[in-house]
Amino acid sequence: MSRTRVAVDVGGTFTDICIMDEDTGVIRIEKTASTPDDPMQAIMNGVEQGRIDLSEVTMFSHGTTVATNALITRRLPRTAMVCTEGFRDVVEIRRANKEDLWDTYKDVAKPYIPRRDRLTVRERIDAEGTILEVLNEDDARRVAEVLKKREVKSIAVCFMNSYVNGANERRMRDILKEVMPDLPVSISSEVMPEIFEHERFSTTMANAVCAPVVVDYVSRLGEKLSAAGYKRDLLLLHSGGGVMTPASVRDFSARLAGSGIAAGAIASRFIGNLCGFPNSIGFDMGGTSTDVSLAWNGESRITKDWYIEFGYPIRFPSIEVLTIGAGGGSLAWQDEGGSLRNGPQSAGAFPGPACYKNGNRTATNTDANVVLGRLGTSLAGGKITLDPALAAEAVQETVATPFGMELHQAAEAIVAVANANMANAVRLLSISRGYDPRDFALVAFGGAGALHGAAVARELSIPTVIVPPNPGVTSALGCLLVDVQHDFSESFMADASTVSPEDMQTAFVRMEEQAVERLTHEGVAQEDMALQRTVEMMYQGQWRSLAVSAPAKIERICSLIEAFHNEHEREFNYRREEAPVSIFRIAVKAVGIVPKAEIPKHEVSPHEPEPVGRRSVWFDGVSHDAAVYERDRFTAGASFTGPAIVEQFDSTTVVPPGMAASVDGFLNILITTKG
Amino acid sequence: MTKLIETSQSLDPVTFEVLKNSFITTVDQMAEQMLRTCYSFVIYNRDFSNALHDADGNSVAQGNYDIAVHVGTLHNTCKEVIRVFEGDMAPGDVYAINDPYAGGTHFSDVRLVRPIFDEDKLIGFSQSNGHWSDLGGSVPGSFDVTARDMFREGLRITPLRLFQRGRFCSDVANMIAANTRDPASIIGDIHSQAQATQAAERELLRLVKKYGRDQVTRGMEEVQDYVERAVRKRLSELPDGTWETVDYIDRDLGAGEGMIPIRIKMTIKGDQIHYDFTGSHHTIASMYNSAPGATFSAVVAGMKTFFPDLPLNSGFYRMIEVTAPKNSVVSAEWPVAVTGFLMPFEKIMNSIFEMWSKIMPERAIACAFNLEYLLAGGRDARKPEKPIFMFYEWLPGGWGGRNGKDGADVTTACFGTGLMSQPNEGNERVNPTRTTEFQIKQDSAGPGKWRGGVGVQKTSVLLEAEGAVMSYICDRERAVVWGVEGGLPSMPHGLTMKRSGEDTDIWLGSVFSDYPVHSGDEFARPTAGGGGFGDPLQRDPAKVMEDVIDDYVSLTRAKTDYGVVIREIDRDLCQYEIDAEATEACRADIRANRKDWARMDPTEVSRRYKSGEIDSLDAVRHYAVILDWETGEVLPKTTAQFRESFEKRTVAHWD
Repeated sequence: MSRTRVAVDVGGTFTDICIMDEDTGVIRIEKTASTPDDPMQAIMNGVEQGRIDLSEVTMFSHGTTVATNALITRRLPRTAMVCTEGFRDVVEIRRANKEDLWDTYKDVAKPYIPRRDRLTVRERIDAEGTILEVLNEDDARRVAEVLKKREVKSIAVCFMNSYVNGANERRMRDILKEVMPDLPVSISSEVMPEIFEHERFSTTMANAVCAPVVVDYVSRLGEKLSAAGYKRDLLLLHSGGGVMTPASVRDFSARLAGSGIAAGAIASRFIGNLCGFPNSIGFDMGGTSTDVSLAWNGESRITKDWYIEFGYPIRFPSIEVLTIGAGGGSLAWQDEGGSLRNGPQSAGAFPGPACYKNGNRTATNTDANVVLGRLGTSLAGGKITLDPALAAEAVQETVATPFGMELHQAAEAIVAVANANMANAVRLLSISRGYDPRDFALVAFGGAGALHGAAVARELSIPTVIVPPNPGVTSALGCLLVDVQHDFSESFMADASTVSPEDMQTAFVRMEEQAVERLTHEGVAQEDMALQRTVEMMYQGQWRSLAVSAPAKIERICSLIEAFHNEHEREFNYRREEAPVSIFRIAVKAVGIVPKAEIPKHEVSPHEPEPVGRRSVWFDGVSHDAAVYERDRFTAGASFTGPAIVEQFDSTTVVPPGMAASVDGFLNILITTKG
Repeated sequence: MTKLIETSQSLDPVTFEVLKNSFITTVDQMAEQMLRTCYSFVIYNRDFSNALHDADGNSVAQGNYDIAVHVGTLHNTCKEVIRVFEGDMAPGDVYAINDPYAGGTHFSDVRLVRPIFDEDKLIGFSQSNGHWSDLGGSVPGSFDVTARDMFREGLRITPLRLFQRGRFCSDVANMIAANTRDPASIIGDIHSQAQATQAAERELLRLVKKYGRDQVTRGMEEVQDYVERAVRKRLSELPDGTWETVDYIDRDLGAGEGMIPIRIKMTIKGDQIHYDFTGSHHTIASMYNSAPGATFSAVVAGMKTFFPDLPLNSGFYRMIEVTAPKNSVVSAEWPVAVTGFLMPFEKIMNSIFEMWSKIMPERAIACAFNLEYLLAGGRDARKPEKPIFMFYEWLPGGWGGRNGKDGADVTTACFGTGLMSQPNEGNERVNPTRTTEFQIKQDSAGPGKWRGGVGVQKTSVLLEAEGAVMSYICDRERAVVWGVEGGLPSMPHGLTMKRSGEDTDIWLGSVFSDYPVHSGDEFARPTAGGGGFGDPLQRDPAKVMEDVIDDYVSLTRAKTDYGVVIREIDRDLCQYEIDAEATEACRADIRANRKDWARMDPTEVSRRYKSGEIDSLDAVRHYAVILDWETGEVLPKTTAQFRESFEKRTVAHWD
């Protein structure tokens, strides 16, 4: 038995397990039904089903939705917050804005910790970090006793200006620990030491409410795995796109809040890089929604503007993923202005599209694709059969009749509107951020990504579409390909023209010492550590900063300023050479490199593959006689032109007329959209 | 599924839907660019809007997150630019305008307008509108409540050229910047906004390249027709009828007591709607007047609240007719001061809420709190060079109770739901102030079966400063936030000042300008909660108890306002219980007496207030009396006006 690596992605419907042979790089996939009440049951089922010998596993990594689901469903253990007197309501006042500006009946959700469980103590630190009032210990002990009586399960400590001086918060923690030694306590000056109280408190609050949930989950899963023979640390994928060990999960629980979403983006970036496209856009289209992500120069785009529920930011750096309500099950409809719409309402997993025969009679994207012949009537290796008559009826009634269209024209209209919506989402992530889609490849995956990918790419003038070998389980692959990663940041507010390089160097070194300590704690060897510095800057008077890379030794600030001008011009189309520049924040990304196994590359021998059949498929109002291929029969070097359909167990790839497609050495299908 | 309706589109449905969404995406891209490059912290906190216009200046799309108050004004300023520059526009030009007398809002909202050409053919405009931090005038932040005409208010920018064929006209820009207290930021914001309009130009030309000029320009017309059709369809499905209401501004600073009425009569006939302001007061001697453009905007913003799902463009305006008497407080003309137009604006919005609540009870809502701004400026003596500082801040408050739902707690004012409140830690770094309190104000919500949302209180101390002055812009100290359907008003409010070294508060009220402040002075200001919806005696006692546990409502007011008697068992464990018997008795007592209280001789109420038997909440919620909150003297005319409204909105609905 050879050594293997195992990655698990727990989704809503399926739990996917990716098993890689460390010597050959061969990957096999196990798919098992998810067990939402106890996700680790499905994981252990999959391990058994895949006959994985855990004692031979060198790395077990996991993307989990446990934290995400706990926050979404609000099944959270009772958690308290201790605040500076006068500032009990920071997380309830938020920034006071709404998500839906016009709908007066749609409210922002209440904070995770209700007002009754937010208590205050006397203490105060000013904006420079001077202690105006030391923590009042009588208040602190009184609060600790009350919280003990209430039997809270976790506590957040959030004091004003603690980002410059965390002394009072640390003292408060000590007192809480004296009274309740085993309780998790998150303090804002350690969780997120950055200016702006709501964003810092909100992150700390998310961290505190998640802590009991994820610590329990991670330790139970860890025990199960080690009982079954696994000898290493369980690795958990976090929203920043790296993994961390259970030791860090305890202190930074909320970093797991985006764990599941990050996996697809990482996989997409990896596949893009593998195929020679360091600039790629991830297009992960499932049943109800599509996740779009972007990698530039081989790196995922990271954001700190992120939340599970509007109004409660989680400011840990996270891979930026834009989710829109467009999937295979999205419903077509006519609004009262007479316009054809698509989504975000969805037929869901049940009843699903009309052609699933479960009683839904409204047309979905899947129904339209069936009518157009793009989707076959037998899916998942024959496990699911679709009814084309029901699909046609739904498209006829929902769109063709109301708009006075012919059936196929109506089906094309449905798909075209869905594609346009998804293209707009890609546009928001690319063009509006200063990226030209023509410089990217589109990586199409998820159950429906390959059905729509080529059309969306054409809409955006993206020249190449990559369809990975197993589009439906690509996210699990993402969990397999990651490094240990932690992010550190500090407020560093200064005028760039007067800041001394030595001061900045000192601040960086201090953060890097923490970073090395954390990585060492996780068992990363010195030679596998990589530290990346960034400085966030802005024109003096601006309100948002831009990050630029900084060297390992800060010698001249002016080269940072020059890099900032360049980045500002790339992103916003102009620079102000004459305007003074400010420094806002410095950050260190600490990476513990996990050795990667090589994905095997097959010999490419150009040839024309043999279709397994032909069928009539509609494009641009015309019925085409299209070749139908079976994906499993493809070998490296196969090339063909559209119109063509490629079918496989978990996905269908559409190659529109005139587009050329070929299979590369890693068995990806590459579609060239020009032509 | 909605039924088929007559469509007059000539574009195929797919191209139409693509263009419609692309126009909105384009405007959202402008917003993103502005947010990320702006200098004005007012813009940064989302007081801005963007639009795409057709070649005639009509609005084709506004952004998804634009502030409400600019709705319905952007087409005016675009058309004004066209009027001035027609025949003299070229690619790369950008014009500026901030003229409230030409359909804008107030001087602070400066709009940059760029003509978009496809080759040599003008196909449309993009416009970026942002609230600059200062436009000059007599006080920092350019809000002088005592201004009677525009000459104290700041710089009026009639259409002028800021970029000529891509070349920055720095002479003009510098002249504008030199008339403000924050010249460096002003130049920065000009660049930020000009680039935002350019981002839209790029996107529109991309669409032209893909779909052709004719299809795109036709799409720009048809998205307006589309919104018009949808609104007309909804209006025609409603019964014809007339609805009327009145709301008030507290007073005319240049006259005696007595509130300033804004009267609206709304008539729906077929698929047309008419808003008639006949009977509204003439202009007043402060900046709390509104020019016609801003008044139209308030009508649109109020009505749009009942059509939350429709995109915004000029199609929405086509079936709306507004008439207002000349030189009234809602129809001011040059040179009457209008910088405080938001005061009439929010009255109009809430009046429209009230009338539409009758038509669409499923979206009914009581009155929301009134916006407030604090502006302080002077020299920051913490730093050796003593730079000018401007502390300019607004607070959230409570919105009105709803049909089956309490009002939204601590939310931005209704004039601009996208606006964000500012972080205290940011305040403390930038300004010589320290906040001692920023929290929810107990008992601030108007009681009702569905209570209003809660307001907040913020208290700050001025640190080392020199030559500092303060202005406060608010209202509804007298025209107190009202309840509906038997619900109660929320609370009167104003700013109080505790001078350094003194123990007593000075009541400064809700409107003053240029008030000198010194190091160590402590100033506190609450915002109101929303008005109550429905009879508070019908509120579920369990809900009242939950509010007591969370300190939204005090034990005392649970009893006086809701008639619910609650006993504390263990505060540490959040344990309380309702005394059902005592509650029933208490509610019966209130029910038997409340109409008499609401009609009691105001001088007797004044006596009780002065003696400390009752407080200001009792005065407005139970006795419907408006006093001078500092002296306790009755304001007779104001009280009569307040009582007339209270009888209609509240007493008439009690059993």
